[in-house]
Amino acid sequence: MSKPSPEVYEEDRGMDAHNSVMREIRGLKEKHYDPHEPTRVWLDEDNTPGGVYDSLTIILNTGGCRWARAGGCTMCGYVAESVEGGSVAHDALMDQIQACLDHEANNADEPADLIKIYTSGSFLDEREVGAETRQAIAETFSDRERIVVESLPDFVDHEKITDFTDHGLAVDIAVGLETATDRVRHDCVNKYFDFADFEAACETAQDAGAGIKAYLLMKPPFLSEREARDDMVDSVRRCAAVDGCHTVSMNPCNVQQYTMVNELFRAGGYRPPWLWSVADVLERTADVDAIVVSDPVGHGSDRGPHNCGECDDRVQKAIKDFDLRQDPSVFEQVNCDCERTWELVIEEETSYAMPLTR
Amino acid sequence: MTDYFEVLDRDGAARIGELRLAEPVTTPARVDDVLVDSGSLWNADREVPDGDEGSLTILPHRSLPAGSREDVQDAFGTEHSDTEFPTAAVVASDTPTPQGADAYILSDAAGFVGHGEGFKDAIISAKDALPADTALVLSGVATPRNVALLAYAGVDGFDAKLAKVKGSQGKYLTSDNEAFLDDLDELPCSCPACQQPRDEFDREDCIEHNVAALEAELRRVRERVRAGRLRDYIEGQARHDNWLTAAFREFDDQYSYLEARTPVFRTSEISAATSDTIRRVEIQRFAERVTSRYRNRFDNPLVLVPCSARKPYSDSQSHGQFHDAIGYRGHTVSMTSPIGIVPPELELTYPAQHYDSVVTGRWSEDEKQFVASVLRQYLRRNEYPRVVAHVPDHGYRDIVERVEADSDLDFEYTVEGHPTNTDSLANLAGALEGELKFSKRERQHNTIKAIADYQFGEDAGDALFGDIEIQTTGRYPKLQVRNDDGDQLATMVPQYGLLAMTLAGGDRWVASDAPTKTVDIEGFVPHGSVLAPGVVDASDDIRPGDEVVIQGSAAFAVGRAEMSGPEMVDSTRGVASTVRHVRER
Repeated sequence: MSKPSPEVYEEDRGMDAHNSVMREIRGLKEKHYDPHEPTRVWLDEDNTPGGVYDSLTIILNTGGCRWARAGGCTMCGYVAESVEGGSVAHDALMDQIQACLDHEANNADEPADLIKIYTSGSFLDEREVGAETRQAIAETFSDRERIVVESLPDFVDHEKITDFTDHGLAVDIAVGLETATDRVRHDCVNKYFDFADFEAACETAQDAGAGIKAYLLMKPPFLSEREARDDMVDSVRRCAAVDGCHTVSMNPCNVQQYTMVNELFRAGGYRPPWLWSVADVLERTADVDAIVVSDPVGHGSDRGPHNCGECDDRVQKAIKDFDLRQDPSVFEQVNCDCERTWELVIEEETSYAMPLTR
Repeated sequence: MTDYFEVLDRDGAARIGELRLAEPVTTPARVDDVLVDSGSLWNADREVPDGDEGSLTILPHRSLPAGSREDVQDAFGTEHSDTEFPTAAVVASDTPTPQGADAYILSDAAGFVGHGEGFKDAIISAKDALPADTALVLSGVATPRNVALLAYAGVDGFDAKLAKVKGSQGKYLTSDNEAFLDDLDELPCSCPACQQPRDEFDREDCIEHNVAALEAELRRVRERVRAGRLRDYIEGQARHDNWLTAAFREFDDQYSYLEARTPVFRTSEISAATSDTIRRVEIQRFAERVTSRYRNRFDNPLVLVPCSARKPYSDSQSHGQFHDAIGYRGHTVSMTSPIGIVPPELELTYPAQHYDSVVTGRWSEDEKQFVASVLRQYLRRNEYPRVVAHVPDHGYRDIVERVEADSDLDFEYTVEGHPTNTDSLANLAGALEGELKFSKRERQHNTIKAIADYQFGEDAGDALFGDIEIQTTGRYPKLQVRNDDGDQLATMVPQYGLLAMTLAGGDRWVASDAPTKTVDIEGFVPHGSVLAPGVVDASDDIRPGDEVVIQGSAAFAVGRAEMSGPEMVDSTRGVASTVRHVRER
């Protein structure tokens, strides 16, 4: 009888290999960014436990994720958007915040009630954003209703949360959990923490009066379309069942430059998920006791989640509709011939025979 | 150890195999119906299941897709040990590790199928690392158009996954095309799904048709392999998709991969109809042996003549006329594309009497260069007092003149107009005026020695049959070689012009300086055949069809190899060699 090699040994070797390869891939990137400009800023509409809000989303350039410098996640290219030297001073970060406020003032009728701050790392990691900056940002947005900040579960502490709740802000912590399956998170995504750490962060947040928004990744490398779809259905259910986790944002993987996923994609070994798979997960988990949303980036392109090219915009629109209304019937109104192809892919694709289509 | 797959027949790298399941499957074939996946280790820990004899169980796997770097492959590679039931293991083409499975599935096929060079690299890497007697499976890539080439390269198992998906996309697949259903006015197929009006044929029908077309193509491939004629098909069919042509040319450039797997004779025809035929192993090998092993033993002038369509040449009308004019006073060597040149002693030797060229009188520069280079090397190696070139204008004469320019020999041209007209034949006879005739005995002896040189190696003819008085009995082409005691040593086989040894011949071969191709076996007495597990060692240069000496502590035998030497050593199943005669000891 044959037996796979011992698990622990495998995982450690796997992480070393992933990190070493990712460092090498990231090393190819030469571009650097101005520490006084945010990476990105945009206005949107978001569904929260407090209802649908106009939102201001900020991708803060903080010098990037510490984990990514060790190698990091197989699909994440955001680290490449980091600044030279690795860290950004308080003044520069506050300049970025000002630039975002200016953007909002120029493009919105009135200030958004919801502020979302992502860093491609952990906003609550004080090596990325110091206590002084965090408190100043809390002060800056104290007139808003709700704030979302991104963090890995390790950095979710009571005091950091109360910096915001003390200003009367409703706080959500966005945690890039990626999947509830530890094995997939470790070996496919190369993220080091466990679902148990996420559960602990949820408890801490809840105790401090905050909520958790779990971010899931649909179709990391090495999984077939069906394996990816099933992993998401399971993950959404498991996240929604954790107290304190009130929202699940399930996002399809897109192919970013300077990542392992990019290398697989270019060699013909990876295809981003179908938008039908996204819709399928949302439909199958519509009954859970949490808000479940998805915001496919780069939909309809080869490097983003896509269907056949004909129906991508319509399916994307249905997904956005679902995000706001949480009503699975939105998907009954979109049809396309390529649904049959997607069904066949779900049925026939395996990790040793993929992708079956581009 | 391979228990549930056996290679039964070979045609170059392609083979007919049998998956020995409860219901056996003859490969190359679709194997989706017998594969049972025990699942990916990427998303869950999985035990090896119990398996059963009715299916090929895919062992738990961590598939590494195309583009995975080696560090990651090394760290996440999965290893299994032998099981008691039929299994397939998933491996990446560049770092495949044997794991006692009967079949191997390459996890990165989607990346390399479609690219000639990448495909060649992947297949050669996998074949080098994996046991020769295991099945190679590519999942999710086969179409009716590419499956012949995939099988030609040595792939045994396929599935209909891609054909189905393409059908659902309205892509109508045939062995020559991938058409958009909407563009077709008619359905160029008579499978059951296509038996309906064009406007009623929908994508579900297209899925059914694609699967049927894939199966039909696989039947064609199996028949071609059995007939030893897959290459002839590939040379034509591969033109329908450029990457397929690129792929078989890439393999032609990997001479050693194909050469090791190509039989030294077939009884079937070689169709020389494309510019790629010249690069076939059979053609290159013949030219290589004629210019490096064969040696002319006649003292007469060299007479170069054009080949004939009829084979062997000596049966043709034109060569009959040449013969009448030459009358054993010259050594009549035929020039031909794509074989190069054929000495008369080797006119029966595969593939000299088995090829059929398209004759239009138009020679390509490639053909001229090839034949000229063979002739040049031939003249460098063999001594002649002079050369009579009885060749017509255009291609032939052009080639001879190119070679003459580099030669010190005196060339005389005897053709005026057509080689068989009265003046030309008179010129030919005249050019040989006064030359001595060689005897029938000399002719027969030289034929046997020439074949031995060609078959066993440089100078083998003299080493085997030179220092004793030998007799040839029987009538050409069924010559029998006997020593002076009258014991038969070998027989010339007229169908493919090679020698078959007797035990006495085998003894002589072993004792001689000629390189012996030997199969060492365990201490048993083989009858009819030697199976691969009984082989202890085998000469590296044994090719399918080669004459071999088989020896072990209990027996000495002669026979014919069914697989290459390395494959005999590597395999745990299958017939390694047939046995013609055996002596216990």
